Amino acid sequence: MRRFLVLTLSILLIFAMLVGCTTGENQEVEGPEDNGEVVESEPSEDGGRLILSTTTSTENSGLLGHILPVFEEETGIKVDVVAVGTGEALQMGKDGDADILLVHAKESEEEFVAEGHGLERHDVMYNDFILVGPEDDPLKLKENAPEDILKGLKAVAEKGATFISRGDDSGTHKRELAIWGEADIQPEGEWYYSAGAGMGDVLTMANEKQAYTLTDRGTYLSMKDTLDLEIIIEGDDKLFNQYGIIPVNPEKSDHINAEGAKKLMDWFLSEETQELIGEFGVEEFGQPLFIPNAK
Amino acid sequence: MEIRVKNLKRYYSDNLVLDIDNLTMEKGKIIGVIGPNGSGKSTLLNIIAGLDKGYLGTVEYDKKPIDKETYRDMTIVFQKPYLFRRKVYENIEYPLKIRGVDRNIIGERVEKIIERFEIEDLKDNKAHLLSGGESQKVSLARALVFKPKLLLLDEPTSNIDPESIKIMEREIVRFNKETGSTIIIVTHNMEQSRRLCDDIIYLEEGKVGC
Amino acid sequence: MDYILEGFREALKLLTTFDREIYGIISLSLMVSTTATVVAALICIPIGIHLGIKNFRGKRAFSRILYTFMSIPSVIVGLMVAIILSRKGPLGRFDLLYTPKAMVIAQTLLVIPLILGLTYSLSKNRGKEIENVGITLGGNKKDIIILIIKELRLDLMVNVVTAFSRAISEVGAVMIVGGNIKYRTRVITTTISMMKSMGDYPTAIALGLVLLVISFVINSIIYSYSGED
Repeated sequence: MRRFLVLTLSILLIFAMLVGCTTGENQEVEGPEDNGEVVESEPSEDGGRLILSTTTSTENSGLLGHILPVFEEETGIKVDVVAVGTGEALQMGKDGDADILLVHAKESEEEFVAEGHGLERHDVMYNDFILVGPEDDPLKLKENAPEDILKGLKAVAEKGATFISRGDDSGTHKRELAIWGEADIQPEGEWYYSAGAGMGDVLTMANEKQAYTLTDRGTYLSMKDTLDLEIIIEGDDKLFNQYGIIPVNPEKSDHINAEGAKKLMDWFLSEETQELIGEFGVEEFGQPLFIPNAK
Repeated sequence: MEIRVKNLKRYYSDNLVLDIDNLTMEKGKIIGVIGPNGSGKSTLLNIIAGLDKGYLGTVEYDKKPIDKETYRDMTIVFQKPYLFRRKVYENIEYPLKIRGVDRNIIGERVEKIIERFEIEDLKDNKAHLLSGGESQKVSLARALVFKPKLLLLDEPTSNIDPESIKIMEREIVRFNKETGSTIIIVTHNMEQSRRLCDDIIYLEEGKVGC
Repeated sequence: MDYILEGFREALKLLTTFDREIYGIISLSLMVSTTATVVAALICIPIGIHLGIKNFRGKRAFSRILYTFMSIPSVIVGLMVAIILSRKGPLGRFDLLYTPKAMVIAQTLLVIPLILGLTYSLSKNRGKEIENVGITLGGNKKDIIILIIKELRLDLMVNVVTAFSRAISEVGAVMIVGGNIKYRTRVITTTISMMKSMGDYPTAIALGLVLLVISFVINSIIYSYSGED
């Protein structure tokens, strides 16, 4: 047994040394060091490649798959969409691993630009969040508070009705926490499930548990057929969700395709694209999933 | 136990390796089965032991076919013994334990047989780490401890030291005298079979010779 | 680059300060995987031993199917269990989905073919000799299975530990049936995967280290045991 202990400790020691040794010097060289590894940093003849980092909920809505081919055809630039949580999307920008971001956490985004990680930030569109819950709506929120999310959440917490939270630091999660904060409730306890998962998983879970959850309208509509959940609260101002687009500061990495990023941003803000965004989802769900609002 | 073999044929694919019309081994005797390599000695022993069931013909034990009771009344010691990965003492007590023999009686009998085989020093050793002669003595002791009515020995003393052979032969004979059990020894050592056996069966190419 | 180093430093801090959440996650991981492995072992070892020494029709086909199932992807097991336990599924009324029990069920099903296959192949190769000795000393079916288990205990233990390693390191099944719910069904692997997607590297690294240490300790135990013989 003693031998293990010694071995285990030595391994930990080695880790500790690694941490210690590499701290000081390597930081500055980090950019150039990465040089060899990244593929296709220079624009190739077909217009090059662009990494768009966005959130899973955006990707899941299907919007990008619908409109980006238009951009790719127009410019010959291939756009690779990396769908992650808002936190990680911003981190990718900070690390220079993405060329441009399309996210929905306005405060963090403005901070991101203020810290010099991004060049500029523009509103693109917004969608809204809704509170969904079991069809029989045991708390009768639909009758008592159809447009008042604060009142609704207070009732959920007071009655201890099961509520599933994304719990994954995503834009939706942040918004949910902000609303709990406004309602002056600490979301904790037996009734509160923090799933650490994407919107689709959380809706499935809420469906299984017949619980309440806060979701973006797009994901809910796209899954509606498989869920025994209904919209309980919608239309509250606190539930609107603004999307912003931010080209990453090209100084972050040698590999950033600044030119392509600028083109994509301009394209998103153009009148034609804004129209495209406004049309998306109307055919399938009878209502648009995103409302364009670029200035 | 009396063993009677009738019209016994054993094929390995298309080769007839054993072909015995009629053979009786009398109760209470030590019977030697000798013959050259490949003459079917071990095959015959395995068939009698009930381990090889792919034969034609009949084998009777006291005029009855083999059954569960018979299995419990006989045993075989192989040329290369397999001892359990536990102490020598625990190896020897195993047959008594699974028969549910009273613990005090187990102790007595195991101690006694250990003494007879002169392996007191090895009692607490791990059995799978013993030398060839030691293993074979333990293996024989483990077989004798539950006093089988039929004891089958497949070249039990090949490749072991003379001192161990002497002890084993002595104990085989003594066991036969004390219990009146039938013992069948396969060997290719003529000297040994003459020393120990009442009857000798000579096998050649699967057939009983003279 | 600095976030990696920062990650390691934070990780060591989390571990040495006995962060409540982290240790909750670790103990749930150990609990779920241990229970699943033990249950699977209790079922599979006797059956595997029995099938290994028994001659039956189609044994060859059986081996092939069994060996295929040994490497069944964990997400498939997870999916199967989720479908069965879901509200609309056949066992929906027990309300087991998204509970540690569901995770135990999924991991048990995941390692059953593994333990069964390893035991079966071990028994097929080495059981016959032991069976013969057992029979000739007068053992019945049950005696013989117990005897073979005792004789092969070291190899069996290695197999069980192999199964445990598979259970504790898999993420697909527990993610699907557990749902990675904070304080309830969050285990080491699902947390690592989630923390990564949230950009929280310290916690991910800390748990990665723990997982490494667990495998290391397990392997050392096995080696020290096999060295004993």
